[in-house]
Amino acid sequence: MVDNKIKKGRGGKPDKKNENNKMMSALAKPEVADLIGQRLKTYYNSVAEQPVPDRFIDLLNRLEAATEPKKSDREY
Amino acid sequence: MAISTEFRTNIIAAIPSLRAFGLSLTARGDRADDLVQETLMKAWKHHDSFQAGTNMKAWLFTILRNEFYSQIRKRKREVEDADGFYSGKVAVHAEQHGHLDMADLRVALLKLPEDQREAIILVGASGFSYEEAAEICSVAIGTIKSRVNRARAKLSEILETGDTSSLGLDDHVVANFTGAERN
Repeated sequence: MVDNKIKKGRGGKPDKKNENNKMMSALAKPEVADLIGQRLKTYYNSVAEQPVPDRFIDLLNRLEAATEPKKSDREY
Repeated sequence: MAISTEFRTNIIAAIPSLRAFGLSLTARGDRADDLVQETLMKAWKHHDSFQAGTNMKAWLFTILRNEFYSQIRKRKREVEDADGFYSGKVAVHAEQHGHLDMADLRVALLKLPEDQREAIILVGASGFSYEEAAEICSVAIGTIKSRVNRARAKLSEILETGDTSSLGLDDHVVANFTGAERN
């Protein structure tokens, strides 16, 4: 239903041109592009600014502990 | 060979960005963190293949996106389970504004083909140059540029028309990652 426009476009080549026109008209609005960029960054940063969860530090500690015995073996 | 403290420090420094990349790709906190975990394990195992002095963050992003695609290939063999899509998500009422815009964007991102989604995240949010993004995705710079343009156009179309309903998220929005992590 929602994808009617797009489905029409899937069939033949002439519609590809249509898609491109649509794309250009969307691109022609810099304020829309800015808004998308801002939202994207806000979304991304809402996670990227969080502290590292303990589970990953624990994981690295375990990985490190698992590689260390080999080192001491070699020194032995 | 022993793994240097610097290697470990750089990995830890990249974890927040890796989680954000994973969430932007999958829209699911649990899946994002599984991707990060796989990435850390692979990075640790293959630390020898990292060339000192090159971009560690880009190297880790490459591992994560490869893992993402390998999981998609696995999943495509399984039947898509509609319930599975919603599990791990916390539904909240739409009146709780503030999350609304983010939920729209998250749904809009999911409507993009994966290659366009990753391109716009890498360039538009992760701060990679077109060159770096092209390297991470193993494609030509022109390909990345075209994917980013297509992604932008599609996102404007979706967000402008408010057409974020077809995934069935119109009645409830998804609690953002921060909210879901709180307990």
